Amino acid sequence: MMRATMLQLTNVHKAFGAIVAVDGLSLSIRQGEVFGLLGPNGAGKTTTVNMAVGLLRPDQGTIELKGVGSPDQPYVRAKIGVATQALALYDDLTGEENLSFFGKLQGLSGRRLAERVGWALEFVTLSDRRRDRVKTYSGGMKRRLNLAVAVIHDPPLLLLDEPTVGVDPQSRNAIFENILALRKQGRTVVYTTHYMEEAQRLCDRVGIMDHGRLLALDTVEQLITAHGGRSILLAERTSGEVRVETDDPLAELLRLQKEGQLQRFRVERPDLERVFLHLTGRELRDA
Amino acid sequence: MNAILALAIKDLRLLFRDKVGFFFTFFFPLLYAVFFGAIFSGQGGGASAMKIVVVDEDSTEGSKAFIRELNESAELDVDIKNRDEATNLVRRGKRVGYVVLPQGFGKARGRVFGGDRVKIETGIDPGRSAEAGMLQGVLTKYMYQGIQDAFANPDKMRKQINESLAEVQSSEDMDPTAKATLQWFLPMMDRFLGELPKNEQSNRGWQNFDLESKDVAVQRGGPQNSYEISFPQGIIWGVMGCAAAFGISLVVERTKGTLVRLRIAPIGRMHILAGKAFACLLTTMAIPIALLLLGIIAFGIRPDSWVLLSAGIISISLCFVGIMMMLSVLGRTEQSAGGIGWAVLLVMALIGGGMVPLFIMPAWMQTVSHVSPVKWSILVMEGAIWRNFSVAEMVLPCGILIGVGLVCFIIGTKAFRWTEG
Repeated sequence: MMRATMLQLTNVHKAFGAIVAVDGLSLSIRQGEVFGLLGPNGAGKTTTVNMAVGLLRPDQGTIELKGVGSPDQPYVRAKIGVATQALALYDDLTGEENLSFFGKLQGLSGRRLAERVGWALEFVTLSDRRRDRVKTYSGGMKRRLNLAVAVIHDPPLLLLDEPTVGVDPQSRNAIFENILALRKQGRTVVYTTHYMEEAQRLCDRVGIMDHGRLLALDTVEQLITAHGGRSILLAERTSGEVRVETDDPLAELLRLQKEGQLQRFRVERPDLERVFLHLTGRELRDA
Repeated sequence: MNAILALAIKDLRLLFRDKVGFFFTFFFPLLYAVFFGAIFSGQGGGASAMKIVVVDEDSTEGSKAFIRELNESAELDVDIKNRDEATNLVRRGKRVGYVVLPQGFGKARGRVFGGDRVKIETGIDPGRSAEAGMLQGVLTKYMYQGIQDAFANPDKMRKQINESLAEVQSSEDMDPTAKATLQWFLPMMDRFLGELPKNEQSNRGWQNFDLESKDVAVQRGGPQNSYEISFPQGIIWGVMGCAAAFGISLVVERTKGTLVRLRIAPIGRMHILAGKAFACLLTTMAIPIALLLLGIIAFGIRPDSWVLLSAGIISISLCFVGIMMMLSVLGRTEQSAGGIGWAVLLVMALIGGGMVPLFIMPAWMQTVSHVSPVKWSILVMEGAIWRNFSVAEMVLPCGILIGVGLVCFIIGTKAFRWTEG
């Protein structure tokens, strides 16, 4: 059954002078899904997030939190949690004080505020550092706290703008676990990244953006099927290396085995990198 | 309102945790006020007695009495040494100068007519010519004090006259005309003093007035002490530092990205600015209150009117909240905002009497000072502390301060850049 729409962007345009950042973007983010916006730097992902949260007004088109209204309105923004790409924290406040302050701005107070602060710290595993000033945190800890600030008021929609930029693998994995936990809790997550493996690992659906335009949108599997091409079997025999594109690598491998002794082989399955290459003619990491 | 309060508390917390900012907001103004108050103070060790050495070569009751008088004076602090020690102390800069009372000093000091002149030798540090002049004046004063005492006491005066008459009669080298005149005058004088009534009422020699000293309540026509001038100036530095700190913090919010987070929150833009303004208002009010309390407790500041002082402090705070908002739009980065902001504030302080009291400045500078909020800020504080301003007199400076604050706040909020770039 198709899930209800949480966030609707319709034919959204945004330009900064002569530079078109977002060009006719239409998207429906479904309730409870993790939606990935994948694209290189400058693709328009952050501009899209900023419009979705009311920081920027689209030049054309509409953005609506379904059943609530436009994010221009403060009461609509109260339904959204944002982890900004730039760390937006007060270094001279403790982790707990940062959360408490942003929680108060979201209208929390008293016992509810204390509960949410405690929960958020636990959620990002920073409880033991709650009374330390943020300036003493590592980059990964700051990223996790940034995520905790986004969820402090328990919003139904989360916009996470490149939440793993510049963090160590341990913190990255912790953030992935957090996002998957949020999905389990039924939260809707919009996740922007230029790391295709993150999108592949976390996202139910992925929209691929480049130059402000949405090039493709579907589940990871469907995108790969539609745009990733076939698997590539690389086999090494005494007579030399063989490269075969195939829809059935196992059958092809058995066939090659019958033809002669295989010394080693490798299968390159299509991924989002190949999808991006197919759609743009460029590799994602080079874009 | 809760959001504004949360924003203000956050800013106050950040201010108190920034040790450098906190120092310049609270302690620097205090140091300024105390330092300059002490320098210009005429009390409490401010203008101390001049330290001199006396060499008593006479060592008579008369010379000892003279030294006692000098020592009891407010102007001098006297040590007695021999000539070598005295010279050394002056040479090494330990004492301003020395005074040598030669043999015969005690006798000569009390003599009114005739006799050999006594020569008092002084040795002064050549680098302290101002003190040298003062020392000569003080010595003259106390020398004539002896003559005055003699005239005020007829019996003592008659004794002096008879001693002088004996010296005149025995003198062989005195000018005959002068000798004849004194031989005629001194006995006449002696007779006159002998015929003066002896009752208590009239036993006052030639003193033709009585000096009666009464304690009266001080009617304030000026500052009670130098701290009443230096504290308003110090307070202004604290208030300016506070306005600069909060103005720059708005720029930092933008450059560090926290302003984005604030804008995402379900509050209006005016809430964000109001929170900052409220924190600035509280701090700019806390600075004068804290410093004045300290000034009252420890430095003898006695405000004329608490009500007017409160009104003045509120006006100053409102003014500098507006200026804070204005400063936040002067630069794109923390560095440029800080640099430009402090440049503006320093000019305000320079022409407004924040560095040097206005009454020291030339007339044209005092006219120029009208454009500086610092001038009006100091004026309202002084008006309430020692200028004895009436309510009507306070209206103009307070009104100017509030007006400047309002205009600056409106311009600042309109011109504030909410985004980078």
